Amino acid sequence: MDGFCLELAGKIPGETSGLAGGVTERTLIRRAQRGDREAFDALVRQYDQEVLRLVLRVVRSPEEAQDLYQEAFLKAYRSLARFRLESRFSTWLYRLVTNVCFDYLRRQRTRGEVQITEKGDGEGDHAYTIADDRPGLNPEHALRAREIGRRIAKALSRLTPRERMVFELKHWQGLKLRSIGELCGTSEEAAKNSLFRAMQKMREQLGDLV
Amino acid sequence: MNCKDLEPNLWLYLYDELTAGERASVDAHLAACERCRLQLEETRRLHQLLSGCPQPEPTPEMLVHCRQALDAALDREQLGWRGLLRSWFPGFTPFPALRAATVLTLLLFGFGLGWTLRPRATKLEQATGGAVPTSFAGADLANMRISSISQVAPDPQTGAVRITLDAERRVTLEGSLDDPRIRQVLVDTVKRYDNAGIRRDTLDALRTQSHNPSVREALLYALRHDPNAGVRLEALRAVEGMEWGSDVHQSLLDVLERDSNVGVRVAAVDALVEHAEALGEEEALMEVVNRLATRDQNPYVRLKCLAAVQKLEGNED
Repeated sequence: MDGFCLELAGKIPGETSGLAGGVTERTLIRRAQRGDREAFDALVRQYDQEVLRLVLRVVRSPEEAQDLYQEAFLKAYRSLARFRLESRFSTWLYRLVTNVCFDYLRRQRTRGEVQITEKGDGEGDHAYTIADDRPGLNPEHALRAREIGRRIAKALSRLTPRERMVFELKHWQGLKLRSIGELCGTSEEAAKNSLFRAMQKMREQLGDLV
Repeated sequence: MNCKDLEPNLWLYLYDELTAGERASVDAHLAACERCRLQLEETRRLHQLLSGCPQPEPTPEMLVHCRQALDAALDREQLGWRGLLRSWFPGFTPFPALRAATVLTLLLFGFGLGWTLRPRATKLEQATGGAVPTSFAGADLANMRISSISQVAPDPQTGAVRITLDAERRVTLEGSLDDPRIRQVLVDTVKRYDNAGIRRDTLDALRTQSHNPSVREALLYALRHDPNAGVRLEALRAVEGMEWGSDVHQSLLDVLERDSNVGVRVAAVDALVEHAEALGEEEALMEVVNRLATRDQNPYVRLKCLAAVQKLEGNED
């Protein structure tokens, strides 16, 4: 496993390093599988910031992101007994989160809803998202940046759920296509094709900006 | 490699997904083809445009909110039928195909158990020589909740069944917070009860009693030691309303430096700055926030501490 999962693995204690009090992740998982709620809470705290970041970037709505966060971890809680300790927990969890995102994107397409809202222009709840705070942006640049953001969000909304997830995981999460294929329950080749189609569509929508 | 072959590989080239051999083929083609070099540059500009788009970041408050909501949802999950099944069968995994059959079996078992238990209550006592608890009167049964069953042992000879279970009896306490017994239950709840939502509600109830030494100690304990960030945040709100003393100041400094949750740390900064002047602790606080403004690992904490430094400096003027 490589990319993001490895990066996470480096940050998250595994078999050979310990959490506070010398508890390893493996121990926490075993305890959580036996119903130890505090162990499960500790596992959640190890990963939930990254999970929340990922779902927020996929759905672009704080309220929806909170719902997906909860849905993902409830599913993890209910199915933790099925997790085999030979596998890497981060991979298992992120596969679950990816599926939750897939389901959400498919539901959105079925309803015909298109998420094109980009926060950061004074609208929305700034308690949940942080607007671009790069110093030195003059108003004209800021306006252009917001317009580009809206165009990108609109272009993303035109991707299929699989194209969207592959693009998100590749471009902004930096995972390798082999890992992305595994998370999306498909092959590396299929992930590659999804990425290519996604980039073609992005070029069609945004080509005039470059 | 020709121009047509290159196009699908351009993105893989930019994302560093090509093998060394493939990359060498692309480089060789690009060296000889200006059209493809221009296409690569256009693709690179699009890549940069996408990379430059600011991405939404969850704030510490959002994370705290999510954790609190998840905590409450997990509490409900534990009290629901899934939680009950898991407590009886720790390895229980309700695969869809078996779910209905499993639930039906358990329902039948439950009815069968009830049918067996009620008519035989007195015979059971006689059959076992009084070893069975005799307090299972009708009123008690109605007032009890079975939290777990550890053994069901039918006796084929006597027709009796022995059930070993843990039962909770609901008791309602009502009284004033001035009643030390009520206060003690609440203080114990803050420190020991395993439901974070209840601990949080308890903190809210105890807020007005912070002048009491045991309550004050419980609030500070929750602020520093509660495992749930939402509860620690609630404790911080309660502590803010307390009569400020060096114990409060020191607790908040410890939280600022050591809490695992950024939202709680950021809230601690606000509270400390608010009261620093009244306590005459600006200098000591300035030293801490100055250090954290440059060295803390978390960017939100650094920003908050920087703002605190500016505010404290403003107060000195």
